[in-house]
Amino acid sequence: MMKKLILYLLPLLFVISCKPGGGRNSGLSAPDSVLNQGALEVSGQAMNEIIENISSPVEIAALMKRVGAPFSNKYLATTDNVSNFNTAYQQAFNLGIYGADLGYLNMYNKTSSVLNYLTAIKKLSDDVQVGQFFDFTTLKRLATNNQNLDSLMYISVHSFNQMDKYLRENKRGNLSALIIAGAYIEGLYLATQVAKERDFEDLTDRIGEQKTILGYLMIILKNYSSDPYFAKLIASMEELNASYADVKITYETGEPQAVEKDGMLTIVQKDVSIVHINKEQLNGIIAVTEKVRNDLISL
Amino acid sequence: MRKIFASLVMILVAGTFAIRAQSAADLVDICRTSAGDDATYLKDFPVELEAAKPNEKAPMAKFSMILSKNTKYRFSICTSETSEGKAVLQLYDENKLMGSTYNSSTGKDYHSIDLNCTKTGIYHVFISFQDGKAGSAVGILSFIEKL
Repeated sequence: MMKKLILYLLPLLFVISCKPGGGRNSGLSAPDSVLNQGALEVSGQAMNEIIENISSPVEIAALMKRVGAPFSNKYLATTDNVSNFNTAYQQAFNLGIYGADLGYLNMYNKTSSVLNYLTAIKKLSDDVQVGQFFDFTTLKRLATNNQNLDSLMYISVHSFNQMDKYLRENKRGNLSALIIAGAYIEGLYLATQVAKERDFEDLTDRIGEQKTILGYLMIILKNYSSDPYFAKLIASMEELNASYADVKITYETGEPQAVEKDGMLTIVQKDVSIVHINKEQLNGIIAVTEKVRNDLISL
Repeated sequence: MRKIFASLVMILVAGTFAIRAQSAADLVDICRTSAGDDATYLKDFPVELEAAKPNEKAPMAKFSMILSKNTKYRFSICTSETSEGKAVLQLYDENKLMGSTYNSSTGKDYHSIDLNCTKTGIYHVFISFQDGKAGSAVGILSFIEKL
C-alpha cells in the first residue's frame, strides 16, 4: 500500500515543485493594503516595459567618480531612522533611498561604511517581505573582508533587481515603483549635491537630462495617484518636475554605425540628445531636489 | 517505511528546487562574468521560449529600458546548455535596429554587442532563438564606462 502511495505521490510532487513561480517565495503573503487595487491607467505590460533601468545608482555614482568628485559621507541619508518607517510605503521608498546610497558607497569602495546600509536595507526588505532576495550574510562578509568588490556590487544590484521583479510579479508593483522612485530621487540628490559644490559640465548635463527620465517616472507614479501616500509623493515630484520646465532637450538624428574590432561588435550611435540648461536653472533644480528629497524621506 | 517515505519526499523536493534555482542563477552569474572584467552588471533578462509553430514567426521576448547618453553599455547573451536553439539578442532604438548578436548575412555570432549611447531614452532588447527553435537563455545589460 505504502509503495503504491509513493509511486503515485512522487510524480505529483515533482510536478508541483517544478511549477513556474512555485519556488521559495510563493508561500509569502502581502497585506491587502499594499496589493494593487483597481485598474491601472497604464497596463501592467507597459509598466514593465517602461520600468527597466529607470534609475541606476551605479551609473550616476560612476559619473561622479569619473568627473573627479570626491566621496562625501554628508550626502548620505542617515540610517538612524530606519525603525521609524512603519508603513510598507515608507519602507519601500526608503529601501530605494538606501539602495542608491549603497551604490554610491560601493562605487567609491567605502566598505567600512557599507555595513550600516546593508543592515538598514536588510531590515526594510524584511519589512516589505522581500528580504529573501537580499543576501545579507554574503554581502556583510564581502564588505567586512573588503574583498571581491565586484561581487559586492553585483550581489547588491542583483538583489534589488530580484526584489523589483518579485514585487511586480506579485501585484505589488506600487512598492516596486516606490523603491525606484526612492533610488531615483537619492541618485539625483547625490548628483545635485556634488554639483552644488563644484561645476562639472558632464554632471550638469546628466542632471539636465533627468527631465526625460523624470517624465517616465511620473507616468509610473501617477498610476497610483488615488492612494493618499502616492498623491503626496506625486505632488512633491511635480514640484521637481516644475523646476525642469525651462530645461530644453533637442535631438539630432543619424544612422548608427557598427564597428567590429578584435571580434567585438560596437554600435556607435549617431542620434544625439542635447541638453540646454543654464546655471540659474541648475541652481533651481539643486534647491528643489534638496527640499523634495528631505521632505520625502520623512513622508 | 514511513521514515523512508518522508526522507524520499524531502530529498526529492529539496533536489528539484535546488536544481532549478541553481541553473537559473548560475546562467546569470556565468553570463555576467563572461561580459568581461570591465563590465558592471546592471540588469538580466531571462528568457524561456517555445519553438515556433508551423508558418509562424519565431517567438520573441521583449525588454525595454532607459539608457543614458555618453555611456557605453554592453549587451551579452548566453544560451543555456540544455537549450535547443541558439539565442539572438537584438537592440532597437524605437523602431530602428541598432545591432544584433547574430549577422544573418554572414552567419557570424557575437557573444555581446557594445553600444556607445549618445541619446537618453527608451531602448528595446528582443531575444529569440535561431530557426525558431525552443530554448532558454539570459541577456545581460552591463555598464562599461561614461564616455
